[in-house]
Amino acid sequence: MNSGFRSQVVPSYRLLTEDQIREIHLASLDILETVGVRVNHDEAVQMLQAAGCRVKPGNIVQIPGWLVDVCIRSAPSRITIYNRRGEEAMRLEGRKIYYGLGTDLIKTRDVRTGELRASTLEDVKNAARVVDYCSDIDFVASFALPNEAQTNMMYIECFRAEVENTVKPIFFTAAGREDLATMIEIAEAVIGGEDALREKPFIINYSEPTPPLVHSFGAVSKLLLCADKGIPICYTPADVMGASAPVSLAGAIVQANAEALSGIVIHQVRHKGSPIISGFFATPMDMLSSVFVYGGPEFRLTHSAYADLYHYYGIPCWGTAGVTDSHAIDQQTAFEAALTILMAALDGTNLIHDIGYMGAGLIGSPASIVMSNEIIGWVKRLIRGFEITPELMGLDVIRSVGPGGDYLAEEHTLKYYKSELWRPRISNRDDPDTWSQKGGKTFGERLAEDTLAILESHVPEPLPNDVASKVDAIVHRAEGAFKEMYFIA
Amino acid sequence: MSAVYGQLSEAVLGGNLKDIKKLTQMALDGGFSAQQVLDLGLLPGMDEVGKLFKTGAMFIPEVLLSAKTMAAAMDVLKPLLVKGEGGGRGTVVIGTVQGDLHNIGKNLVAMMLEGAGFTVVDLGIDVKPQAFLDAVKQHKPKLLGMSALLTTTMPRMGETIRALEEAGVRSQVRVMVGGAPVTEGFVAKIHADAYAANAGTAVDVAKALVGG
Repeated sequence: MNSGFRSQVVPSYRLLTEDQIREIHLASLDILETVGVRVNHDEAVQMLQAAGCRVKPGNIVQIPGWLVDVCIRSAPSRITIYNRRGEEAMRLEGRKIYYGLGTDLIKTRDVRTGELRASTLEDVKNAARVVDYCSDIDFVASFALPNEAQTNMMYIECFRAEVENTVKPIFFTAAGREDLATMIEIAEAVIGGEDALREKPFIINYSEPTPPLVHSFGAVSKLLLCADKGIPICYTPADVMGASAPVSLAGAIVQANAEALSGIVIHQVRHKGSPIISGFFATPMDMLSSVFVYGGPEFRLTHSAYADLYHYYGIPCWGTAGVTDSHAIDQQTAFEAALTILMAALDGTNLIHDIGYMGAGLIGSPASIVMSNEIIGWVKRLIRGFEITPELMGLDVIRSVGPGGDYLAEEHTLKYYKSELWRPRISNRDDPDTWSQKGGKTFGERLAEDTLAILESHVPEPLPNDVASKVDAIVHRAEGAFKEMYFIA
Repeated sequence: MSAVYGQLSEAVLGGNLKDIKKLTQMALDGGFSAQQVLDLGLLPGMDEVGKLFKTGAMFIPEVLLSAKTMAAAMDVLKPLLVKGEGGGRGTVVIGTVQGDLHNIGKNLVAMMLEGAGFTVVDLGIDVKPQAFLDAVKQHKPKLLGMSALLTTTMPRMGETIRALEEAGVRSQVRVMVGGAPVTEGFVAKIHADAYAANAGTAVDVAKALVGG
């Protein structure tokens, strides 16, 4: 017997060599030192100046390379994210992959009627319930934008809907510092106080700089608040090649990386060791429609490139996948979602958001989430690879079955079929006759039925009563306080 | 139809930035009026650009080169054209609303409108309702264009329109709005006149609004 051997086979891919990574890093440092970034936040500018940056008129902050390197090192190389119950949910580190939703989709493809309409708070709740049900989706986000809500209460209403409808970690946006503080307060009420939230964060704020090379007042305010409170923040620019960034992939990568790194500097100078997730989004503007392309191949190349960069930096990185430029659940949606989900897994990005995004970031549907769940299951199985051990190489069972036998009723088959084989929920594996007898339904038809069944039957675990009433009180107070307030973005 | 007009149209269409000022001056020296040069030479070239863009035969960077070429010709013509109307299709005041720092989409629309023969007054980003109002009073534009990329700043569009109403100048200007989160329904809600889904349609919408 061939003993003592055990090996895990894992599909692997990387795009950049170490030389290429260093060259890009140096170019980004050059931009930060010689061009700098505009920081529309006086307190942050003073803080950066004290830390060694050069400040020029117009809130331009030029960041020395040594400071960037120091901040890359002080940013944590791993972040554990918990769920609402305080149980470990995601370890954002290395090449571990987790998938979840994005935020703010203004339109919804209604799964009952097929109609394209304005998103509502009900769509946020539906998305959260579907995510709660889907075993391969790891975190939730608002997904839809509640058009009917008061502007200052939009994100608070979303946050409440998510915390009430799923136990999974929450990735969320805020309009300004004020409503962010309210949402953190809600999270503290849910997990048991400020210290408990710091110890077991189950929320991740998502804020962005504004390319090219600008940090808005609102974005910096959120970055600083999260740094102070130890709330994990994903601070990642969305660069549009040919519009807000160079049209060349290398140029867009250099600029976007400079923006992301400058965010890390602001964050780490404010509070060394606070948890930050970084990376960026660099995709072309379509040169005919002017739409920011979500489903194209260039986006995957910039995505792979920054994944290699942030693995090199040792900073957890976000990702974007399960996205399409199509407006309906159709063939384009399926292939763009599948390819992007697969590529993000091969990239080994940790916090992969925007699952189920359609219409280049404008349209959502609960069905696109369920479809992505199926694809993610497929991809997670692929990425898991397989193990080579004497038992799994199966010499004993091959010997015992011998030439001309079969494996159907072998104990080896019974023992391993569940762990070795993935089974789809919705994809067809029936033979043609059985498929016809079951109604000959397409994937899209079965997907809609499955999604409706989830929406009708899945009941998430409710918040404990005392917590629910605390959350209500916080939301109620915010309604009064924010009524006439104007958040600075 | 003079060959000079065709030459000017071709220069605009081909984005011949290098020669356009010389060609424009030659046309003027040859006895054509500034208005003729504009209406029969340059604008037909830009209209052709618009058509080719719509059918996918020209792309945004090429369209913008044509627009730049058109603008260079306008530098030569403007002092000679009848005052008030800016000589072309009229004046547009444009800006990104208060609290919003996104200028790319707005810039694209501004360049396209300029290329189509409008005189564009660009107020930039983070423009307060009062600043829009002041610009409308000062420049007396046919059109006001507002842009917002953030759902949180969209309400500023409605506030700006209310400021125009309160100042009694709303009826003097047509208002068009745009930006990724802006929808047809939102336009009705805030009493704007029109919405353009992208920079290409913005030109058509603008032309339709001013009746040109």
